[in-house]
Amino acid sequence: MAGTWTASRLEVSDVRSWSRLTVDLPPGGIVLSGPNGAGKTSLVEALVLACLGVSCRTSREAEAIRVGASALHVGLELTGPDGARRRDIGYAPRTGRKLSIDGELVRSLGAWRAAGSVLVFLPEELRAVKGPPAARRRHLDRLLEAAVPGYADDLVAYGSALSQRNAALRSVRAGRTGVDAVLPWEPGLASTGARIITARRDAMRSLAEPFARWLADLGGGADGIMGLEPSPTSLADVPDTDLPAALTERLEAARDREIGAAQTLAGPHRDDVFIGQQRGDGVTDLRRTGSQGEQRTAVLALLMAHRDHLGARSGLPILVLDDVLSELDPTRRGLLLDAAVGQGQCILTTVDPVAAQAAADRGARVLSVREGLLAA
Amino acid sequence: MASILTPSVDALVTELARLPGIGPRSAQRLAFHLLRMPSERPQALADAIAAVVDRITPCTQCFSFAEGDLCPVCADTRRDPTVICVVEEPSAIMSIERTHEFRGRYHVLGGALSPIDGVDPEDLRIVELDQRIERDGVTELVIATNPTMSGEATALFLADRVRDRLKVTRLASGLPVGADLEHADELTLGRAYLGRREI
Ligand SMILES: [Zn+2]
Repeated sequence: MAGTWTASRLEVSDVRSWSRLTVDLPPGGIVLSGPNGAGKTSLVEALVLACLGVSCRTSREAEAIRVGASALHVGLELTGPDGARRRDIGYAPRTGRKLSIDGELVRSLGAWRAAGSVLVFLPEELRAVKGPPAARRRHLDRLLEAAVPGYADDLVAYGSALSQRNAALRSVRAGRTGVDAVLPWEPGLASTGARIITARRDAMRSLAEPFARWLADLGGGADGIMGLEPSPTSLADVPDTDLPAALTERLEAARDREIGAAQTLAGPHRDDVFIGQQRGDGVTDLRRTGSQGEQRTAVLALLMAHRDHLGARSGLPILVLDDVLSELDPTRRGLLLDAAVGQGQCILTTVDPVAAQAAADRGARVLSVREGLLAA
Repeated sequence: MASILTPSVDALVTELARLPGIGPRSAQRLAFHLLRMPSERPQALADAIAAVVDRITPCTQCFSFAEGDLCPVCADTRRDPTVICVVEEPSAIMSIERTHEFRGRYHVLGGALSPIDGVDPEDLRIVELDQRIERDGVTELVIATNPTMSGEATALFLADRVRDRLKVTRLASGLPVGADLEHADELTLGRAYLGRREI
């Protein structure tokens, strides 16, 4: 075990409805309970900002600034595998982010962010099961960025090489240049692509077992299956060491067709993740045929498997479950609470007093949130 | 907002602020500094700027800066015309010259491949490079494009094009990825040249 992440003190200034708030978070389970619009999710958002430097609700941080304020600020005392740190993030639209650790200014977001310190489930996370392949890739990539050094850089490099090759394919199709212009982008695409696929395969190997276990533990039934559906599918049988050569060959073989299409038609940018279940003699694809409840359970199992994965590598992350409890029937809710509360730090938000009580029965501390007020 | 400066000072500040790394504040500071100097100093600066605008044209052979047909390197008959070092911009030549390791000539491409920005091979001075290779009996091409993704792709493109005709080398790594030659120090670049590898 690589240790545990725990947030202790959270200081929020001018985030959404909160003008100024300091809250001491206990270790273990925490329930933020209160009506809709009381600001529960905004507290979660502030915590995520202070851990990762980006909002979990919007890609435009300016939206998180309280109306009437010009900048937001969040301070957080966060203990990780390397010890306790005081983290600060300020954000103003004009000047951007101002980041510091223990009072020392940090310039790069990558160096500042506590990767893998927090895992957030928002209601829209359901897309990771029933959404398009891109949603599942993003889910997996987020995990790998936190767990695998260099993965984020490989993703960026792959993306740039892909855009360049696609632009070159368009130029060739338009007759502006010769096919030679496509070639120099392919070695980079093949080498970064091979590393991305290898990392995804490794992750799948270590996620498949905990996913099946959590699916069963959360009431989703036995024999859950997850695995990488590589693009092109023929890559499934290629050993890791042969991936660069296989990708190079594919790019070469597909070049003429891809000039016609003016885009790179296959590769890790088209990978998907299979999420399903063995039932009787057949395999059910939960992405397409699962009921809303089955899909929700599968997403939670995926999330818990991710948490185990990170726990064994970069430390057990803080688990944030926003507005999940009320969507589950009492049995499944109880199973989730049994799984989440009591292992590391877990923050749940809910509008449902019954759900809050169920968490409290398992030892979670309940904080009630009412229009800009927080009470124990 | 109406300016409190005279139109000519205003114009100077505006022009200075167009320079890289100079914000409106620094531009104002520089302008005031020039105004405080004895008048022959800013005059010399103005003359120097006027002279380069007037006289500098691309070298007809390598496309570096020249006054007249040829740049100083192309005009120097002691330089070996059969070894050509390919760079993206003239600024890289200054860096490589400071190392005193390279005795051949240069070729300025005028950028690096980047199809997403509309830079295809036809937009670089590659045909001109081909002509020089034929005409001067070039035996080695040292590719010194920047160690960025675009620079690497450009290097690969050129290497594929001429590999069957001559020796192609790439400046050795040791240069940080994503850097540009302009900001590499002499020692690093000197080592990079001596340790160049064949591609
Ligand atoms: Zn010249």
